[in-house]
Amino acid sequence: MNGDNYRSHYTFAMDFGTSDFKYGPITLGENPRIVNNRGYFPDRSSVMYKAFEPTSDVIVGDDVPLYLQSAEDLSSRLIYPMRNGMIDKGDDQAWRVVSSLTSYSLDSFKPEPNNGFQGYYIVASLSSVSPRYMYERLLGLLQENNHGKIKAVTVIPQPFAVAIGHGVTTCVVIESGHGNSQVCPISKYPIRAAQVALNRGGGDANAITSEILKDTGYGDLANEEAVVRKVKENIGLVPGNLDNAIADARQFPRKARAKYRVPGTRVEIDLEKDSWSRFLIGEYVFNPNHEIFESYFSRGMPRPKDVKMGDTIFRGMLDFGEAIIASVERCPVELQPMLYREVLLSGGNFSWVVPPKLEEIAVDAPTKVRLLLRDRGIKNVSIKMTSSPQFSVWHGCIIYGFAVPENYEWDWQRLEGWMKVSN
Amino acid sequence: MGAQPTSNTDSNQAGLSFLIGADNVHVMVLKTQDLAQRNSIIDTVLKLSSLRNSYQTVYLAAPRLLGATIDASIFRAHGIGLLFFDERRIDEAVAPQPLQATRPQLIPTSVQDSGLVSELASLKSMYFEMERNLTQLRDDLKNLHETPRNSGFAPQLSQPLQGVPREPVYTPNITQRGPLPSYFSNNPWLDVLSKRGRMENEPLAG
Repeated sequence: MNGDNYRSHYTFAMDFGTSDFKYGPITLGENPRIVNNRGYFPDRSSVMYKAFEPTSDVIVGDDVPLYLQSAEDLSSRLIYPMRNGMIDKGDDQAWRVVSSLTSYSLDSFKPEPNNGFQGYYIVASLSSVSPRYMYERLLGLLQENNHGKIKAVTVIPQPFAVAIGHGVTTCVVIESGHGNSQVCPISKYPIRAAQVALNRGGGDANAITSEILKDTGYGDLANEEAVVRKVKENIGLVPGNLDNAIADARQFPRKARAKYRVPGTRVEIDLEKDSWSRFLIGEYVFNPNHEIFESYFSRGMPRPKDVKMGDTIFRGMLDFGEAIIASVERCPVELQPMLYREVLLSGGNFSWVVPPKLEEIAVDAPTKVRLLLRDRGIKNVSIKMTSSPQFSVWHGCIIYGFAVPENYEWDWQRLEGWMKVSN
Repeated sequence: MGAQPTSNTDSNQAGLSFLIGADNVHVMVLKTQDLAQRNSIIDTVLKLSSLRNSYQTVYLAAPRLLGATIDASIFRAHGIGLLFFDERRIDEAVAPQPLQATRPQLIPTSVQDSGLVSELASLKSMYFEMERNLTQLRDDLKNLHETPRNSGFAPQLSQPLQGVPREPVYTPNITQRGPLPSYFSNNPWLDVLSKRGRMENEPLAG
């Protein structure tokens, strides 16, 4: 079996998203397997623990719900290691979850014996703002969990994988997850020095949705994260222009009325005369600088702050238009027009719909970003959603693992290449 | 209408043949002296059996004396009639089971299913139509293959080609596997990434 043939069977990708872990070999085709990117540390005295006697002290994958206990337990025992895209160096619990997920994924795809299998070529993907110690730790974990299943490993940043999966070699990728967003220019390589990170993601849209629920008389639901997220997804809208959208919704409240019934329950949320506030949810994701948000900050909603994680400063209040411009302007001038020509939006935080009858005031994510750039004088842009937002990182990892030559060795300066694993 | 004697078609065949209505009837007769010969009864019965294809009804006529020594139910089971006679009378001990002769009988044309015939004709015409179409398709395909070579036809562009820069498309060298996933098709990264490690001045992580 030559190199291409071998890796057309045994390339394996792992995408550590903020909420989900997507994994599997190239032979899965279009769609990877998905489990929650989380682990549960069961109470050793619990009946379930004694009954099933798991071999590991951390449960990952589809079995997690079997062990869940009281809601009070969850905050300390149910760990989402990548909630913010990053794991602290000393957060051993989170790293144990990551280690268990890598073992779990490899154990899920054991090749048949005597078929020429010499180990997988594994491509893992991390947030683009991951500091070097995360690369070191993840590569180390993969090598520890080898057991003859791995031939070589590598780690690539998620926006780079998105660009590969989408087939664009020169572009700007904005990857927006639950906890943060990353703007990363790509020109055959990720231009790491020009990356801009935002301390804002889907979780912040949940936060303002929660405040809106409190203000409209649904305070009892405002603390249930799953309900808040559903409300955000079902009534949240992105306005083309926030002032115009609010004025229109106030003038024609029936047209913009926001109503949502939680499936399988008697709970119905109806914003009635306050339905205009549904536009705040989308606006806050893209641009939290409108004065209307000040009233929420003054009443206790935390303002997205600039934070330093590792070597990276995550900007809190930068809108997406400014973030793209800041990133592109760190690149060579002659490259800048080509970067604006292909802006790719990736991640669940860009999935916004435009309901019928509201096309004049509500927009989708690419249109909103285009408007933000236009306000700052950037007009010749092409902005697209990735064709498969959920899986484009995994697709990019598979292509990377298939195409990069075996003899391209890992380099800590470049943060690229294959790290061979000795069996 | 009574029984009418018919002539035996086989000269070796002993016995009497009659035509009763539309049925051919044959009777083999055992005489009293035949009972003394060891195999004559078996021989006669076997001959009767062989005649079942030629006659609708067959009988064995035997002296009443035989009735005391044979089990009449065997004859019933094989559909052979059994007649016992003595000097005073003849009795039918076992009624024969008339059989349909297995000789092929011609069905008169008048009773053939006319619907079946017309359906057959229709199928036949469809078959010929399909055969004609197939021949036509073969000819068309042959012409199609030959046209560019023979006529020198080449598509002409209405405008000259612009110098559109294109990323070279990398063709993976795969021989033992089916098609790769759709996101591989025309993906310029396959070429870009396959050159990793061969380029000078590769950028370092920033």
